[in-house]
Amino acid sequence: MAKKPTGNKTYAQLSAELNEIMEWFEGEEVDLDEALAKYQQAAKLIEQMEKQLKTAANKIKKLNA
Amino acid sequence: MQDVILTPSDFVALLNQTLEFAYPAVSIEGELSNFRISKNRWVYFDLKDEQASVPFFGTVYMLPGPLQDGLMVRAVGSPRLHARFGFTLNLQSLVPVGEGALKKAAELLRAKLTAEGLFAPERKRFLPPIPERVGLVTAANSAAYADFVKILNERWSGVEVLLSDVYVQGDQAPGQIVEAIEMLNRLSNLPEVIVITRGGGSAEDLAAFNDERVVRAVAASRVPTLVAVGHEVDFSLAELAADVRASTPSNAAQLLVPDRAAELAHLDAKRQTLKRDLASAYDGAVMELVNRRDALVSQITNVLNAQSQQLQSLRRLIKLFDPQAALKRGYAIIRKGSKIVSSVDQVKIGDHLNLQVQDGTISAKALTKSPKLRAESSRL
Repeated sequence: MAKKPTGNKTYAQLSAELNEIMEWFEGEEVDLDEALAKYQQAAKLIEQMEKQLKTAANKIKKLNA
Repeated sequence: MQDVILTPSDFVALLNQTLEFAYPAVSIEGELSNFRISKNRWVYFDLKDEQASVPFFGTVYMLPGPLQDGLMVRAVGSPRLHARFGFTLNLQSLVPVGEGALKKAAELLRAKLTAEGLFAPERKRFLPPIPERVGLVTAANSAAYADFVKILNERWSGVEVLLSDVYVQGDQAPGQIVEAIEMLNRLSNLPEVIVITRGGGSAEDLAAFNDERVVRAVAASRVPTLVAVGHEVDFSLAELAADVRASTPSNAAQLLVPDRAAELAHLDAKRQTLKRDLASAYDGAVMELVNRRDALVSQITNVLNAQSQQLQSLRRLIKLFDPQAALKRGYAIIRKGSKIVSSVDQVKIGDHLNLQVQDGTISAKALTKSPKLRAESSRL
């Protein structure tokens, strides 16, 4: 399995979550309390993604060794 | 030997035994002639030169693709004496040889597979934007492999590469590449993309990527494919059948994963966007509060204005009832002691009366009194 240093989420999953939050902000009615919570969640996701990008390594597994 | 009497069957068996021992397999290069396929399965042809011709027999599954008479090919086969049909070589593998023959064979295959729609643009699938599990079919000791891994590591992290080490040229290459693609497609946890790559080489080196079996395996893969054969000028048919083609193994890694530095910059841009979004959410909330306050102030002002108007009209009404206003018009208030006199019956002759007028009081004495007649009062 791909390296997942932050929780059980892969980079693609984190990226999808982040995009969802960004889309939410594009919506018509943005509640301030919710916006604050979502912003904090997004900041955390970005931090995790940066960490993955900077620390994770690629793994090579030979299948027909 | 001539003392031993053999039956024809014995002789065929003996000869085949000898042939199998002496020539388990031979490679013969020659010009293809009398090529024909029977019942879509059986293949018959001769390989010839100026002096000789030898017959071959095999199945279509051993062919690299469609062929035609006149092509130079190298066939591997086992010599046999068939009990009824005579001498033949049982085909094991066949490849076109020489640039001309390879090109011609590739043209024939391209025409056949194009007619089948194997290269149609509408068959192409997108590769996942950020793959995490990648199948890699290449030779593990090749420069192609090293280049691919180097660029992959430079660009991205967290990818699991499932390497299937295969020959990428030679007789065994097509079979191994096909097996690797099929094996990756059988995994319970499928890779998201299969990369098939090798470096550049001569037409003969690259022949496996124009082999019908390989091209069909690429096209049939459930998992999207990325094929990169290191040459720019001509596309191999495997590349044409792939969902995405890359020019070199390094280019394959570039197309496969995003660039780490670009992605980090992208993340930073997203962070700035989110900050702006939050600020605008805050501004929106403040604006809403201001609007609500203004609405409240305007409602209160309306209520106050209405009350004030009501007060004004009451004030005007009260003015009409003010006795002072009547005194100004010449009326007087008559009091006997502290009581106001409104009837002749309250007064006796000789009583002292006070008459209040606009600007003071007058003392008076009642001299006479004359009650108003009913008729008069009613007339009045």
